[in-house]
Amino acid sequence: MKVTKLMAALVALTLVFAACTAEDGDETTTSGATDTTGNGNGNGDGEGGSLLDEVQERGELNCGTRDAFPGFAVLTAEGDHVGFDSDFCRVIAAAVLGDAEAVNHVDLETTDRFTALQSRQIDVLVRNTTWTAGRDGTEGATFLTVNYYDGQGMMVNTGDFESINDMDGVVICVAAGTTTEGNAAAEAARLGLDWEVRPFPDTDQLQGAFLEGACDGWSSDTSQLTGFRSVYPDGPDALTILPEVFSKEPLAPAVLDGDIAWAQAVNWAILATIQAEEFGITSENVDDFLDSDDVNIRRFLGLEFEDDEGNLTTFDSALGLPLDFAYQVISQVGNYEEIFDRHLAPLGLERGVNALWSDGGLMYAPPYRP
Amino acid sequence: MTSTQAGGRPPLYRDVRVLKWAYQLLVFAIVAAIVAWLLGNFRRNTAASGIPTSFDFLSAPTSFTIPGADFSPNSPVRNAYVVGLLNTLRVSVVGIILATILGTVIGIGRLSSNWVVSRLSAAYVELFRNLPLLVLLTFIFLGVVLQFLPRIEVAWTPLDWLVFSNRGIGVPWYQEVSGWSLLLVLAIGIVGWWLIARWRKSVFEQTGRPSRAVLMGGGFLVVTVAVGWLVFGGSVTLPSVDGRRIAGGIRVDPSFFALVIALVIYTASHIAEIVRGSIQAVPKGQGEAASALALSGFQRMWNVILPQAMRIAIPPLGNQYLNLIKNSSLGAGFAYFDITNVTQITVGNGSPAVPAFFLALLFYVVISLVTSLFVNVANQRFRLVER
Repeated sequence: MKVTKLMAALVALTLVFAACTAEDGDETTTSGATDTTGNGNGNGDGEGGSLLDEVQERGELNCGTRDAFPGFAVLTAEGDHVGFDSDFCRVIAAAVLGDAEAVNHVDLETTDRFTALQSRQIDVLVRNTTWTAGRDGTEGATFLTVNYYDGQGMMVNTGDFESINDMDGVVICVAAGTTTEGNAAAEAARLGLDWEVRPFPDTDQLQGAFLEGACDGWSSDTSQLTGFRSVYPDGPDALTILPEVFSKEPLAPAVLDGDIAWAQAVNWAILATIQAEEFGITSENVDDFLDSDDVNIRRFLGLEFEDDEGNLTTFDSALGLPLDFAYQVISQVGNYEEIFDRHLAPLGLERGVNALWSDGGLMYAPPYRP
Repeated sequence: MTSTQAGGRPPLYRDVRVLKWAYQLLVFAIVAAIVAWLLGNFRRNTAASGIPTSFDFLSAPTSFTIPGADFSPNSPVRNAYVVGLLNTLRVSVVGIILATILGTVIGIGRLSSNWVVSRLSAAYVELFRNLPLLVLLTFIFLGVVLQFLPRIEVAWTPLDWLVFSNRGIGVPWYQEVSGWSLLLVLAIGIVGWWLIARWRKSVFEQTGRPSRAVLMGGGFLVVTVAVGWLVFGGSVTLPSVDGRRIAGGIRVDPSFFALVIALVIYTASHIAEIVRGSIQAVPKGQGEAASALALSGFQRMWNVILPQAMRIAIPPLGNQYLNLIKNSSLGAGFAYFDITNVTQITVGNGSPAVPAFFLALLFYVVISLVTSLFVNVANQRFRLVER
């Protein structure tokens, strides 16, 4: 008798509980869905829902990088994130939050990076990621201004080969899960060479295999090869990067599709570094420009200037960024040249196509003006 | 107080049979509701954030190559999955067979009366059971396979029949002959085996001499296939060093080699414990009776104890087999083209991550369930019929 009663009570309780769960579930789902749509369709009129507001409210930027690319991002023994990509995370944080150190660097594997972006684990992906049409489309990512123009190259033991064309019947090791395998296969087919392409997801394993002579060539983006070469156990001279570059790898930060306000804010943060280099403004001399007479510079740094009627005014781009975002970027992180010289020049990388347009390169910022 | 009055049925809400059913239905409804809610949530959220979930990518070209497979960058992604699936099966089957043999030997060794053998076996089990498999695999790949196998320039070619290098181990392999003739030969061999088995069984029943059906039947099959294949113009290709690679024969990949070694060493340490436990679970009287019949130590183990121990060992062994299959996914980190690796590469080259990894999960679930099925069938067949 007692048992039956207890059981009946239990059943009743479960029923109630189940009803609750179902209701809760429905609620959560609906609100979740609304939120998501809000986020996805945030369109820059600042009425909430954009990641821009969310990041400013949170006071911290979640930035996806990879702590294994010398020059682009490495984690030092002291726990600092150092590199070109890490600095561009800081650029965005300085522009949006006014504090270059308000960055949560999220270490991402190649295969998780777009999922991390899609699931909103990160706000922006600055992780040596090549802008391709497929990624723009199917992965739901929006790529912004290219901050490094790269290309895939081939690294070999010094003296083994002089040119890619000599490499027939060889084993090529590449970093897995990127465009490199596809590029290598296409290049081998184009040149009529027989390459056995072996992909390693982890650079440590790849380097181990290369050191033991299990591969003839090491193929990756030239900038990465330069980075790996600089820290090669047998010294950089043991390796030679062949002159051929056989793919276009424009590396660009990416944000999630559908949030124009956030995309524009991130984009202009990056453009500010290029614009600053063009103006000759560096983190050292930025304060000297505060009394500049050039109205373009005054607009750029968010300073007051006289309009046609002689009134003091400032220029607000309505991008949702603070007026002085460019000043914060330059003073706290630096301009493009400073970032490049800090991280990539020491590896032996030349500016090349990454020079300013005025020096014959591809770095070009649209004018910052009404 | 008794729970029911004699004669009258209890009301529905107190009828145990009704309550039992109602409770089952309720649990089922709750689980179904949760699953439906999660799926709905997943569908809505993936749609809202534009995460692709369609499986159309399976017919798109892969754009990458897989060494050792007949596979071009224009082949559809689904072919890459097939290659990955076959490679996972390949390493699993080889690993399971070798791990079972090694594990059984070490498990028996632990019970040996020889002090050195039993201590060594115990040390083996304690060492490898307590190492993380990934660490073991990394060590074997970088520290053993790549180190101790010579570079291709100085490859070791004993008798010109084998090639050892850290770009692979070349082994002689048969040259393909037409499939039908080989199938015919195979059929003759199998029928022959069956006939021989029948004949030997009757001999055994009449005279009591050992039947040796497997030995003789299997031998007939092997000889028939070998002869038939030579008759139909089959030949062997020998491996050789061709520039910087191995040509001819069949190449055992260094990553396959390292993966098999690591999986076998690791899983054998677990299997050894299962075998030891199962042997100890066989009643002592069985061994004593065997000794009383003056059977040798080997006969006692092989004919009396092991057959009974293996019955006990089958279910836990099945678990280890499942572990080995799932652990083989670690090979993806060492350029072994298993399901996991193929999935990662195809995602890196433009396939959508969520459906691609969903497929990989599905493959592992199916492989594991099929393996469980085999283990259960074996368990049913071999278990002691108790009266």
